[in-house]
Amino acid sequence: MFDTDILLQDSREILGAVPVTLAMAFTTFVLSTIVGSLFALVEYRRIPVLRELVFAYKVVFKGVPMVIVIFLAYFGLPPALQFLLSSAGINFNAHETPNWVILVLAVTGCVAAFQAEIIKGALNAFDIGQSDAAYSLGYTSGQLFRRVLFPQVALTAIPDLTTSMMVIMKALSLGFAIEVVDIFAQSQLTAALNFYYLEAFVIAVVIYMVIAYIVTQIADRLEQALRVRT
Amino acid sequence: MLELKDIRLSYGSTQVLNGVNLSVKRGDVASIIGPSGTGKTTLLKCINYLAKPSSGTIAFDQIQMDYQHADKTAIQAIRLRTAMVFQQFNVFKNMTVIQNVMDPLVVVQRKSREEAREIALRELERVGLSSKQDSYPSQLSGGQLQRTGIARALAVRPDVMLFDEPTSSLDPELVGEVLKVIKDVTSSGITSLLVTHEMQFAKSISNRIIFMDRGVVAADGSPTEIFDSPSSLRLAQFLNSEHSLQ
Ligand SMILES: Nc1ncnc2c1ncn2[C@@H]1O[C@H](COP(=O)(O)OP(=O)(O)O)[C@@H](O)[C@H]1O
Ligand SMILES: [Mg+2]
Repeated sequence: MFDTDILLQDSREILGAVPVTLAMAFTTFVLSTIVGSLFALVEYRRIPVLRELVFAYKVVFKGVPMVIVIFLAYFGLPPALQFLLSSAGINFNAHETPNWVILVLAVTGCVAAFQAEIIKGALNAFDIGQSDAAYSLGYTSGQLFRRVLFPQVALTAIPDLTTSMMVIMKALSLGFAIEVVDIFAQSQLTAALNFYYLEAFVIAVVIYMVIAYIVTQIADRLEQALRVRT
Repeated sequence: MLELKDIRLSYGSTQVLNGVNLSVKRGDVASIIGPSGTGKTTLLKCINYLAKPSSGTIAFDQIQMDYQHADKTAIQAIRLRTAMVFQQFNVFKNMTVIQNVMDPLVVVQRKSREEAREIALRELERVGLSSKQDSYPSQLSGGQLQRTGIARALAVRPDVMLFDEPTSSLDPELVGEVLKVIKDVTSSGITSLLVTHEMQFAKSISNRIIFMDRGVVAADGSPTEIFDSPSSLRLAQFLNSEHSLQ
């Protein structure tokens, strides 16, 4: 059914998009986890005003389809950035912001809302009596965080954070809408030239599956390594 | 060595402590008894400021503080000289038994790992946990968790030990091993405040019994005074109800 030559040639082209896709996914993952953690801390510590803002943010970014957020960012982010930078007196042409940066920021914005939920859940699962114990022994809140809270919360959150990594990989394929070439977009382009659509998409599916497998394996190992310690 | 005066604290609209006065002398082993919800845990937590009174004063040797002007240096100084054993154990779940005992020594007291390890090994021996030093909390029984908590508290060499119902969350068959350790600790001469419902035990280890009721100290005396000739109806009723539970 499939022509081997076509498969080989297409694979080479589509694999070429893997490093870029992974780099964008990893960047998005790191950024969204940082932002999500800050949101989760705001909610966990019940910081007034900020807490309401985070809540509103989550409603918006969980509710609006990601592709719309990407388009909004595509049209809205450069002028907004330009305005901010020039009012801060910085000379920089924001209209030249590369599309992949816009994509990463847009997906980060959406995924951060989900990361916040995951981390909030892990924080709520933390047995607060341990904080009493640490403070009673003279730990500062920073020492409590580093020695006790963070290691436990990270462990609890790992499985769900891994799922987020896959969500991000898939979300990046929406970048096609703003001409960012990831694995999916590359298979589109390749197929558009030689009309072997099925071949190109099957290759893309295989690549996504291999990546999913590797990510899951890494997370499992990491979790096991940490799990022994609790 | 420790004096609390007119401690008041409320959670929302419920007054929990209504002007508690308490003074503890060096070497005292004082057991605090009283009905549930009377504020015994809260009172212990006021000493190390895990609970924040709205008014009152504390004097701990030369450290003095008015709770209306709580000051970080005084709080930290008190925390460094006291250690608490909790009803729910509160051991650090991401650390082994020995790490639990070493961590405060390394992190707070800035001791070297070798020195901390030496001290930890000694304290674990004392509570009979040497064979479990590398176990994680998830692998331990309640009695072992509580003995870890006690070793961690002892290791910081506190001037005062605060025990908050250390055996109340334990299965009955595990109570004995923990009481034995506590008895050993208190008989070593360390000043101790112990909240407990184990009346016989309190009687046998304490030189003072403090009866708390409705947010105040309602009676304070030697075990004989409190147990054999209760001074109030409330105290007599409480002792009776505890007695019938045992
Ligand atoms: N963190 C808290 N928030 C609100 N209420 C509390 C809190 N801790 C204790 N209480 C209330 O304060 C009262 C005294 O509690 P506690 O000191 O634990 O009593 P005891 O140790 O004598 O059983 C109880 O009614 C309890 O419900
Ligand atoms: Mg209590």
